[in-house]
Amino acid sequence: MTDRQDETGWSFGPVSGPDMAEWCALLRDDNTIHLRREAAEAAGFGPRRVNPGPANLAYVISAAMAAHPQAEFAEIAAFFADNVFEGDRLAARLTPEPGGALYAEGRGAPVLRVQFSFKEHD
Amino acid sequence: MASQPPIPGRRYDLTAALDDRVRALCAAPPRQGDLAHPIHAYLGALAAMPAPIGDFSRNLGLAFDAGPVLGECRLSFPGRLRVGQAYDATVEVLDLTRKPSRRFGQADHLALAITLSDQAGPASVLQFRMITPVVADD
Repeated sequence: MTDRQDETGWSFGPVSGPDMAEWCALLRDDNTIHLRREAAEAAGFGPRRVNPGPANLAYVISAAMAAHPQAEFAEIAAFFADNVFEGDRLAARLTPEPGGALYAEGRGAPVLRVQFSFKEHD
Repeated sequence: MASQPPIPGRRYDLTAALDDRVRALCAAPPRQGDLAHPIHAYLGALAAMPAPIGDFSRNLGLAFDAGPVLGECRLSFPGRLRVGQAYDATVEVLDLTRKPSRRFGQADHLALAITLSDQAGPASVLQFRMITPVVADD
């Protein structure tokens, strides 16, 4: 996974099958739509493996950490609207609320919306 | 489905090496002090469930092998997740409801809360809703 920050936000990807397998191992998740293309196809997701949702969330959190290096999260709420597939290139856009969204290249609507709150320190 | 009593899970050993690897996977900035990446609230929660999420779901009667997806989640941090610290998990089944689904026809919505705690008390709480297709012979 590589990243790049430009004037519009953070870019990630392309999402890789080996990275998906590593996320699954970390999560102890044997959901085969993340691991085998034929399983994703059989489940109606098309011919590409599906990225685990927590990985998508982690990209947006990472973008927020880079933008707010001194901040400590109090709460993170995420709404998963669509799936990310192997080969997808992604972009995270942060909003002032604070929050953010994750976009997959070629699709207009965000695949994930996230709201943050931060802890207040003295 | 009524809320069930919390179920004790396993221990999540949050090492610096594990946090480094997770940061590499999601292009996170370098760690500041001993504060771990917040996504460990999710990773640790699932890793420290008493059984893997697939087996846990199958034991509840869900068709996990049909390919569930994540609907929404909330991570809250009453404490801190730090590297070099181990956390104990407790799992609570908040809700399990079958609903009509545009994508699947019918789907089971499972809501779980998983808390990671250290000696000082709860450090993080994950609540999430997982949507599992209902298969024809289910």
